[in-house]
Amino acid sequence: MSRTRLIAANEWRLMRRNHVARLALLMLLALSAIATFTSIAHRAESDALRARFQAQADREFDGQPARHPHRMVHYGHFVFRPMPALAAFDPGVDAFTGNTIFLEGHRQNSANFGDVRQSSLLAHFGQLTPAFVLQVLGPLVLVFVGFGTIARERESGTLRYLKAQGLAARSLIAGKALALGGIAALMLAPALFSLGWLVVVEAAPLSGALLLAISYAIYLLFWVMAVIAASSMTRDARSALLYLLGLWALTTILVPRIAPDIALAATPLPTRLETDIAIQDDLRRIGDSHNPNDPHFAAFKAETLKRYGVTKVDDLPVNYRGLLAMEGEKITSRLFDKYNDTQFTVQARQGDTATGFGFLSPAIALRSASMALSGTDLDGHKRFLEQAEAYRYAIVQELNRLQAEAVTFADDGNRNKDPEAARRVRIDPKHWHDVPDFTYRPASLDERLRAAVPGLALLLFWLAAGAAMLRLASRRIGAAL
Amino acid sequence: MMMLWGHELRLFLRQRIAVPALLLMLALSCASVWAGLAEVARQREVIERIQPKQAKDEAAIAAWVAKEGDVGNAAYYTFHATWDSPSSLAFAALGQRDIAPFVLRVRALPLESQINESENYNAELALPGRFDWAFVLTYLAPLLLIALLHDLFSAEREAGRAVLLGVMARSTRALWLRRIVLRAGLLLLALLVPFIVGAVIAGSTAAMTAIVAGIAAAYFLFWIALCLLIARMKLASLANAASLAMIWLAITLVLPGLALLAVNQAIPVQQGVELTLAQREAVHAGWDKPKAATMQAFVRDHPEWKDKATFTGGFHWKWYHAFHYLGDRAVGEQVKAYRTGLEARDAWTRKAGLVLPPVGVQVVIHRLARTDLAAQLAYQDRIRTFHAALRRFYYPYIFNETPFRTEDFAKAPRWPAQKTGQLATASQERK
Repeated sequence: MSRTRLIAANEWRLMRRNHVARLALLMLLALSAIATFTSIAHRAESDALRARFQAQADREFDGQPARHPHRMVHYGHFVFRPMPALAAFDPGVDAFTGNTIFLEGHRQNSANFGDVRQSSLLAHFGQLTPAFVLQVLGPLVLVFVGFGTIARERESGTLRYLKAQGLAARSLIAGKALALGGIAALMLAPALFSLGWLVVVEAAPLSGALLLAISYAIYLLFWVMAVIAASSMTRDARSALLYLLGLWALTTILVPRIAPDIALAATPLPTRLETDIAIQDDLRRIGDSHNPNDPHFAAFKAETLKRYGVTKVDDLPVNYRGLLAMEGEKITSRLFDKYNDTQFTVQARQGDTATGFGFLSPAIALRSASMALSGTDLDGHKRFLEQAEAYRYAIVQELNRLQAEAVTFADDGNRNKDPEAARRVRIDPKHWHDVPDFTYRPASLDERLRAAVPGLALLLFWLAAGAAMLRLASRRIGAAL
Repeated sequence: MMMLWGHELRLFLRQRIAVPALLLMLALSCASVWAGLAEVARQREVIERIQPKQAKDEAAIAAWVAKEGDVGNAAYYTFHATWDSPSSLAFAALGQRDIAPFVLRVRALPLESQINESENYNAELALPGRFDWAFVLTYLAPLLLIALLHDLFSAEREAGRAVLLGVMARSTRALWLRRIVLRAGLLLLALLVPFIVGAVIAGSTAAMTAIVAGIAAAYFLFWIALCLLIARMKLASLANAASLAMIWLAITLVLPGLALLAVNQAIPVQQGVELTLAQREAVHAGWDKPKAATMQAFVRDHPEWKDKATFTGGFHWKWYHAFHYLGDRAVGEQVKAYRTGLEARDAWTRKAGLVLPPVGVQVVIHRLARTDLAAQLAYQDRIRTFHAALRRFYYPYIFNETPFRTEDFAKAPRWPAQKTGQLATASQERK
């Protein structure tokens, strides 16, 4: 054990003298610091801004004057997606998805004003966040620092002396890995600080933060093992560097870009425009509210009359127009749900295809686990869309119910002819207060963990792969010595 | 002379790294061009595919609206399709077309609540960026170039041949030049040939293709110069490779990331949300405002309807369209401010491109391919023009109270085929 530590200590001394290694490490630490501070500030700002907008929208809704309830259905409501605390570590898809939706009757609008659509193409170069620094730049720095550790000894012939002194290949490898592992731990430090800060100050879930730290540690550990293995199995230091750079470019830059292309080609997604037309088409088929002789709405009318035991809609104790609005909204909402389900299923299948490439790229595995644990994966956005739609349906139906119960059928029919009726259909604005505000329920820890399972499993696969490589390297060195 | 070149070629190809590097470049370039062409074909297919669906949708609306002939219903229920065809160079740089809609329907109601609609796309797949030719050029080609050039001089020095070469060669300058041209030139060729084939398939003009090829060559020159600069420090091959890879990391990943942080921090664009919230307030307040005042304000901008702006009763489509129009107008300043913010972000990116060659290359290629933020804004401008035409189309029916019949649906303005400065049209028209 002491030999291992001795080798590690010696390696650290050498690393301190290596200009490129020192520069790379310093740059990474500086970037980590910058990314940590800007990410925390950006998250806090964005979240506060969204909360402010949400409060403004709630206030404006509650403050509407006396109105016909159907006016309020069209006035609608805005909801904003809050940013989870751990988004300051890994913002995931937050910038790629709209964070506000306008909710109104009859229609389902898209989530708009995502950051990336409002950014120039610089966004394509990657956003500098603590997660990005460790996922993409971290392995590269480990390569720069460690590619020569064993190859150099081989080139200079010192490997033989070590053997002559009775050093086992295992101790050598372990020592070198310990030295590079120390560097990896140093690189992880700013991230740990950032996670700790988020847990303490922003009340991020502790176990989520811990698992994030473990995931990143496993990822860097894989790279430590890969670097040591490559350094011991290649002819010289330069080959080790070129192979490792190739491996990094392939797994961290290339495969993550190719995987989405393949996933998209395998299962394409229909455009909003087509879905919109398809929904309108289905609506006309189910029941055309514009057609007075439409069978669906005729049946609905007959059934309603029967339920209340009357023969004319005028004799109903409630406003038939309100009932009709509720029935219409029920049909459209069911279609929205149906098409959303299809869309989410396709997206999940695309996601699975892309995550499958985690077998070719540890970066994909880590990103998947990291976003899931941070609550910034596509599931988080889907959750927002679903909750927004449920809220939309609830408030629209509440307003339709008000139309049915607080507005008379006669007044509703005469509101454009008779100023008195027009005054009466505008119901008391206290009702707007009674409509509950939107509260977003973020993914529970349990849900986050479950979503992180594929990524975490893939990371363990890579850990095993790294260990196997290291074993092979150790055996080869043992034989060569 | 030719013999010398042939000799150098044989020497180069005998290197362990040469053939794999060239083949990898060729394979990556081919794959990216193929992926880009497939994506552009998919986008064109979507645009083709929506036409009959849109026609059917319009016909279904016409079927019930025309019976009563109420233009208000026609204007309210009819959505009009717009689309933004990919240019003939889009295959090489797909840009923002994966996250911004390239097909969008609008109706003659306030535009500000329609124009910022998003497309359905899988955000997790959009996150890493697309695999297109511009990506291969900006990120991967320099890495391969470094692999081929980092030991140009140092390898000879390390093998102890440098002095000998200096003595034997008629001109050492010509010798090194031959070697550089050969190594970088073959790599450039492996990168450019698939692109040129793709450009021909996509119907890009020869001039455009040549400009992009020129940009790629200039980008190569920049990296060659960097390699030579590092070589002047007379380090070992190993140190050369490490230094160059560090520089690559700094200027392709780190500095653009910092630039994005700075630009987005310096120019906030929350006006988008603000104007959307404000526009809704403005539109819906219209229901409660005195009708006469609303009509007066509308007529100030539309004097042609001065004599037709009166009506009786609690509701009339004239009034409805008047206050909806005023809702849009109320946020005109904010729309402008939002737009200015987006343009400022784009302008600063272009400035960053002057300092950072990878950013510069991306900026220029995406501009030529019409797939950048500016192209997205240009599409929105065309939608604005189209929307104004839609209002102008419906207003005479609304204000003259003319019935709207089946044949009138066919008279509505149609989304024009792209012509505004779109270099793609030449090829589209040929088809």
